[in-house]
Amino acid sequence: MGITRRQFLRWSGVSTLGAVMFNGCRIPEEELQIESPVDMPEDLVSGIDNWYATVCQHDMSSGIIVRVVEGRAKKIEGNPDYPMNQGRHSARSEAALQSLYHPDRLVEPLYRDQRLGQLVPISWASARQILSDKLAGLSDKGKFRIVTGPLRGHLALLTSEFVKGYGGAHMAFESLEQVTLKAAIKSVFGQNRLPEFDIANAKHLVAFGADFLSTWQAPVRYARAYGEFRQGESRRRGTHVQVDSRFSMTAASADEWVPVKPGGEGVLALSMAYVMIRDGYVPSVHAQALTDGKLLPALDNFSPENESVRNATGVDASRIETLAHEFANPGNQPALAIGGGSAGAHTSGLFNLKAIYALNVLVNNINSKGGVILNPDPPIKELSGQDVVSMGTPASLEEWQSLSGQNVEVLMTRGVNPIHGLPKAAGFSEVMANASFVVSFASFLDETVALADLVLPEHTYLEDWGDDVPDPGPGYQVFGIQQPVVRPFHEGTRSFGDELLILGASVANDLTGILGLEPGDEQIRPEFRDLLRKGAYDLWMQNRGSVKAETFDGFWNGILERGGWWDMEENVKSQSAPDPLPIGSDGKITWPTIEFQGQQGVDTFNLLPFLSNSMMDGTLAHLPWLQATPDPITSMTWHSWVEINSKTAKDMGIKEGDMLELSSPSGIVEAPAYLHPAVPPWTVSVPVGQGHTDYGQYASGVGVNIMNIIAPMVDADTRALAWAGTRVKVRNTGVNIDIPKFEGSVPSIEAEEGQIIQITNLH
Amino acid sequence: MVATGGLLLTLAGLFVVRAWWTTPFEVLGFGAAPEQPVAFPHTVHAGDGVLLMEDGHPKLNSDGSEAYGLGMDCTYCHRNVDKGAAASVPPVEQCMDCHKAVGGDLQEVKKVIQAWDTRQPLVWERVHRLPDHVRFVHEAHMRFFTQPGNLLPSGQQALVPSDVCSTCHGDVANMVEVNQVRSLKMGDCVDCHRDYSAPTDCVTCHY
Repeated sequence: MGITRRQFLRWSGVSTLGAVMFNGCRIPEEELQIESPVDMPEDLVSGIDNWYATVCQHDMSSGIIVRVVEGRAKKIEGNPDYPMNQGRHSARSEAALQSLYHPDRLVEPLYRDQRLGQLVPISWASARQILSDKLAGLSDKGKFRIVTGPLRGHLALLTSEFVKGYGGAHMAFESLEQVTLKAAIKSVFGQNRLPEFDIANAKHLVAFGADFLSTWQAPVRYARAYGEFRQGESRRRGTHVQVDSRFSMTAASADEWVPVKPGGEGVLALSMAYVMIRDGYVPSVHAQALTDGKLLPALDNFSPENESVRNATGVDASRIETLAHEFANPGNQPALAIGGGSAGAHTSGLFNLKAIYALNVLVNNINSKGGVILNPDPPIKELSGQDVVSMGTPASLEEWQSLSGQNVEVLMTRGVNPIHGLPKAAGFSEVMANASFVVSFASFLDETVALADLVLPEHTYLEDWGDDVPDPGPGYQVFGIQQPVVRPFHEGTRSFGDELLILGASVANDLTGILGLEPGDEQIRPEFRDLLRKGAYDLWMQNRGSVKAETFDGFWNGILERGGWWDMEENVKSQSAPDPLPIGSDGKITWPTIEFQGQQGVDTFNLLPFLSNSMMDGTLAHLPWLQATPDPITSMTWHSWVEINSKTAKDMGIKEGDMLELSSPSGIVEAPAYLHPAVPPWTVSVPVGQGHTDYGQYASGVGVNIMNIIAPMVDADTRALAWAGTRVKVRNTGVNIDIPKFEGSVPSIEAEEGQIIQITNLH
Repeated sequence: MVATGGLLLTLAGLFVVRAWWTTPFEVLGFGAAPEQPVAFPHTVHAGDGVLLMEDGHPKLNSDGSEAYGLGMDCTYCHRNVDKGAAASVPPVEQCMDCHKAVGGDLQEVKKVIQAWDTRQPLVWERVHRLPDHVRFVHEAHMRFFTQPGNLLPSGQQALVPSDVCSTCHGDVANMVEVNQVRSLKMGDCVDCHRDYSAPTDCVTCHY
């Protein structure tokens, strides 16, 4: 059949039209596709958060959980499982986020260019090379020192082995250190580890100088226990007496505050002991060991009627008797006495603390509910050796002073700032100047790091592996594990533990062999995490406690999930008799030497430095959240201040905000006055931790460093710094500033006159 | 000759009618999973069972144990599913949250890393598509089925949005390549709306 021309044209026209029409009906290509954008859209609300458990290094002994969204840490809370804090946490823990994201973090190794005299960036490879060359080139192996904070757990083990490999020495730095506390615990309870104070179950509590609700030892744990002590169900409200030469937050919470004269805490405690024995409140057998069998006559010097007792303590005989009766009253048992802080920071420091803790021996509350619960050794064998345990004991002032005579060649510091935190008399800046090479591991540049020749940037603890064996522990064995909750925020930071292992390998002391790790090779080096896993393996093999598992991996995941391991059954079963208090040739306990250095006469005061509630000794001063956290007593933020008695100040013509000049034989500082009726008229108090000159944009230039005027007084026995042993002269400079405080910024609500009831009239 | 032509015509007609009412017969590439720019295996990410290799044997980890899927929640990536109309596909940045640390040696992951490095979006082939004149909002369906008492067609109570997904999308967690399993034609929608006494007004979907 043939197609006509006309037919051909018709069909081709229809086909073309059809093709065009049908093509128009097709679904456009782009509608069959869906695009993944490159970047995360900002307005998309994220779906899932993860909470990781770790331990807090800002507030030692707290376990925390961190909320992580999209690989970023967002919020820190207390770990409800962790025995020490049981879900509670402090502002210090919370502020760890600001450490992680801090704009001033060190992000690459820095090396001091000798010609420019400045720190310039270098690579990690060269930094490691320089450091291992310096260590290998030591003229004498003993001329190496490493200064860190008090170390515990596996990092203490690793550092201790590292130091041993060089024949050098380790020194632990703590600003307002508690050397005397450790010594007193050793003497009275025979323990290397601080005990647990069972505040929650005590009925009566007397605390001497220890600001335990705010800064002392494990404040989060104590504050939780204090809630139980005061308001726990099915128990009588506990009574609390605070014997303190400063009106601290803890003193403000107490039922009764006894403003003892600085240094007289031990005399007061022994005077209480005297009354307790004399009036038959405690069987004298309990005093047998303490007094070396001499009993009451040994305490004769401390009878409250003695004028010397009144002079040393500033407390009346009748009040001492009441304190003693309350403490020893059978209806008030278990009664608990704790002491620390400024009570142990005098020339009589160790004497004071021994006397205070002896009160517990008299009421026989050791290892019983509501008393002093002794802490067992760490659950992992390697961590309980004396070498490792001693890494946690801070060095005394005398040890710091002796450092300058030791011709240190290579000095390594890690995460501590002794230049800021030690008094000038410790001579640490001379040690740094004389050392031929100083290397600092740190996350931030501070006054000490700024003087180093080599600066190695470290992870913050949210990015790093670690562990903790809390000291004080909760009365049973605890092993807390610190895991990186996020990947390192900066590429140039490293883990201190890993670097020690690398250094140990490159300078050929068989560190990995000693620690029992697989030697590894160039590609896979042993890491600090491997050491932790080894310790955890030891725990897994013991097959007891809070986490048990079929396989080691199951166990490891279990402890990471819970934030650690603990065994509530494992506690101290036996105890040793206390060492006797110092008894003289006359058979009586020797009167302590309570001395101060500094100005005498008019307008002179005892200077009481104290730890800042939020920034502690100043280690956390670079975090703006903590700078802005008001002090609980004065509501001050972002500054240093001098707490002075309102009436004394009025007599001296001082108003709030007047800049006061405080001078001691060691130096002069100026800070604004804060008037307060509850400051004992013979003291002034200044928080430590401010006055940084080189600690990032938030801390530098804020307030004054009170350590600059602390006189080099030492405790008579331990030679530790008696940081409360300075007297200062106060002079009003006449300059007045507006002090940054919250108090008074909101007008108080006025109550109607008729609603005010005068309690005093009801008696 | 005529019989063959008639048979072909009948088959073609059957194909068109079937495709019109429900999903087309799976011949000539119809109904097959489209090829994607990255062979993303839902089994590895969303599945939680033993992973199988192409030959059907279990995939093994380096230590010899059987490899399992991660069991990730659907909403971890399709994060808008309980918030808006579209379930949304994850941005490349989100893939990189994990893949900067893991899987960098795998061929398919390398494509993702390259997309990230070159800042090129990944363009996926759409598997589920409704016509322009239909508005489907994921969020409303998620909200309805996660309310207590509203049981899924499978008879189960959905507790989280992810429990709802498989009702329409099939067991995606066990699909190596994602395929459409329900017709998602209007009849499919209306049947379900009637079963749950959901509105069947035209404007419910056509607006």
